[in-house]
Amino acid sequence: MSIVELEDPPISRWESRFTLARREALWGYLFISPWIIGFLLLTLAPVIATFVFTFLNLRLNQQVPVRFVGIENYQALLEDPRAWEAMGVTLRFALIALPIGLVLPFALAMLLNSKSLRGSRFFQAMFFMPYIIPFVAALFAWGSMLNPEQGWLNGMLEWFGISGPDWLNDPSWIYPGLVVVGLWGIGSAIIINLAGLQNVPTELYDAAEVDGAGFWGRLRHVTVPMMSPVIFYSLVLGLVGVMQYFLVPLVLNSGTGRPAGTTYFANIYIYNTFFSFGNMSYGATLAWLLFVVILVLTLLLFWSARFWVYYAGEAK
Amino acid sequence: MRSTVPRIGILLTILALILVACGGDGGASQEPGESTAATSEEPAASEDATGEVVEIRWFCCLGAGDDPAQVEVEQAVVDAFNESHPDIQVTLEVVEYEEAYDILAVQLNSPDPPDVVGPAGISGAAAFQGQWLDLQPLVDSTGYDLSQFAEGSVDFYRSDEFGLEGLPFAIFPSMLYYQRDMFDEADLEYPPHAYGDQYVLDGEEVTWNFETLRELALRLTVDENGNDATSADFDPEAIVQWGYEPQYQDLRAQGSYWGAGSLVAEDGTSAQIPDHWRDAWEWSYNGIWTDHFIMNEAQAQDPTIGATGNPFQSGNVAMALSHLWYTCCASAQDEDGNFVDDPNWDMAAVPENNGTVTSNFNADTFRILEASDHPEEAFEFLTYLLGDASGELLQLYGGLPGREEDQAAFFEGLDERWTQGVDWQVALDGIPFADNPSFEAWVPNYQEAFASIQAFWTDIRSTPDLDVGAEIDAFEQELQGIFDRAE
Repeated sequence: MSIVELEDPPISRWESRFTLARREALWGYLFISPWIIGFLLLTLAPVIATFVFTFLNLRLNQQVPVRFVGIENYQALLEDPRAWEAMGVTLRFALIALPIGLVLPFALAMLLNSKSLRGSRFFQAMFFMPYIIPFVAALFAWGSMLNPEQGWLNGMLEWFGISGPDWLNDPSWIYPGLVVVGLWGIGSAIIINLAGLQNVPTELYDAAEVDGAGFWGRLRHVTVPMMSPVIFYSLVLGLVGVMQYFLVPLVLNSGTGRPAGTTYFANIYIYNTFFSFGNMSYGATLAWLLFVVILVLTLLLFWSARFWVYYAGEAK
Repeated sequence: MRSTVPRIGILLTILALILVACGGDGGASQEPGESTAATSEEPAASEDATGEVVEIRWFCCLGAGDDPAQVEVEQAVVDAFNESHPDIQVTLEVVEYEEAYDILAVQLNSPDPPDVVGPAGISGAAAFQGQWLDLQPLVDSTGYDLSQFAEGSVDFYRSDEFGLEGLPFAIFPSMLYYQRDMFDEADLEYPPHAYGDQYVLDGEEVTWNFETLRELALRLTVDENGNDATSADFDPEAIVQWGYEPQYQDLRAQGSYWGAGSLVAEDGTSAQIPDHWRDAWEWSYNGIWTDHFIMNEAQAQDPTIGATGNPFQSGNVAMALSHLWYTCCASAQDEDGNFVDDPNWDMAAVPENNGTVTSNFNADTFRILEASDHPEEAFEFLTYLLGDASGELLQLYGGLPGREEDQAAFFEGLDERWTQGVDWQVALDGIPFADNPSFEAWVPNYQEAFASIQAFWTDIRSTPDLDVGAEIDAFEQELQGIFDRAE
């Protein structure tokens, strides 16, 4: 019986220099490098560039040499009433749109989650379907539907003897009109809420029922606490979304702020400053203001989460 | 060696992914038709390089011209030029007026900017001040005859700083449009057509000024019970007819009817509101919220009341100050282009203020961008637009020809459309009273200032119970901030 000695495979320089764990980490970085490089070039670099712009006199149509202007753009921002009005418009609309955007999908998800509802899947598909239609195309359709003369919405109101308003041109009705348009895209929020509802353990409801809880009691003491992470998630995304509200007023009101400045949202002002007024540096300054406002509000939400968001299994 | 090949494969894959990620979506989103078009254009591009065919881009529209019916004629004009000029191929690019400023601003910085821009109004030209080609060298080298234009009209486009930036094409004097039947119904004399004439009110001759206009406007503003705005029983909540409308006139235009002026002081940097402009704005504000003879914003934008921002066309307004181009839209038409009601409007002189008449005017023309790569060919096309094609285009735009010899034919064309018998002489008589400086003249940070002016007018029109004097002061401050942000 002879013993065959197996030759050790040759060790490459690469293998000799790095431990296995190090090598695996390097391979991992290599695989995610397309994303990292894309992030650096397409996200981080523009973010840094816009910050640098805020200290320059950069214009879309540059006719004088680019120069460093210090904090002039920030000083101009403080004295610019249009900027603060636009921020006020955005916040006012957020106060209306955000609660509706949270409560309605939640309520509809509860309906779809009801055991007594037949054809739940059909309704889920129906609610989700608008979400997959290109939004700009849908907005043009909405523009027609909200027309005070020929629009379907006012046509339907007339069946009940109600004379519908001029949704998109009356300052008193513009926000309800925009909220109605926004409901077009609540399909994804319904699905997210529905997924959350289906993950609530049924034994909690059983226990609550044994304790004599009715519908409202179960909603308050079981559903809402268990759904609070989902509500928190929707709230954060909704807040960021509504603060960056742009496409609807751009398409339906041509970005003019009509009627009476009620649709001159912060992002519309930023867009106009960049591309209509050609003031890249001041546009960047406005964009940073919006970024800071959103950041502060989001941090406030995260801070508040400790008081009302319940994570099952979370160590306190 | 055993792992070299897969590693190279992985590296190549990563490289490919990066290239795809950073390469934009131009290829991915390209429609098959676009691809074909690009291929078919290649020979033309090569011909361009050899100098055989020069491609010229006509960017429309910084003034009139973006209506689909107008585009049809503009394209026919281009086709006719291309047919007669095999060495120059013009491409018409129509952008709606509301977006035209933004898009031109972007295209100006592209490697291939447009060559000819227009029709561009004074406002459009001011927004891109310093970027128009000085035409004088081309006029000199081609021997283009400037004497065909009315004396002094060429100088309107000439400045020491920028040279000759345009040639006269269309001018749009302003006038007072009025509905004859509403005056008849109220038993009022028509406003005077001749500048300098008095108005006969209640049998007495009075000066034709803005105070008289206000008095007429009050009497022509009527509620659903038939009470006019001078009556104690007048119900401002139930108005069915309004006396007056500054039709499509922004605050600068409204101010300039009370006297020429500018929002920027002579130093070119300080914001100012001329006193007579303040008076005009307060007059308008009171006309909306105190006297109720001007529609508020909600009424003006209501399709059933103010024809969605075109109140005079709605047939619910008795008088409107506007320009000659408003002949485009002074009466409502159905989808087939037939008038909904027989037009019955006519024109009268602009009222005076403190003894001075100012009939502000708009002027549109075509200009060549300084960035054009083919100024000679662009000038050839420009002179074609101002010459052979001008008859057709001027009718299309409702613009009074810059060449006096063409004016009679122009009015004959208008008479064919407006058969109620309009006194076009009013338009001609208003020319000597043009505003100088033009209300549309340059101010620093023009586009932003213009947006602010529009927004302030919307505020005035939308907000009752304003301390309008304080608001005007605040607006002046806002304007100063905008001017300060200019370079």
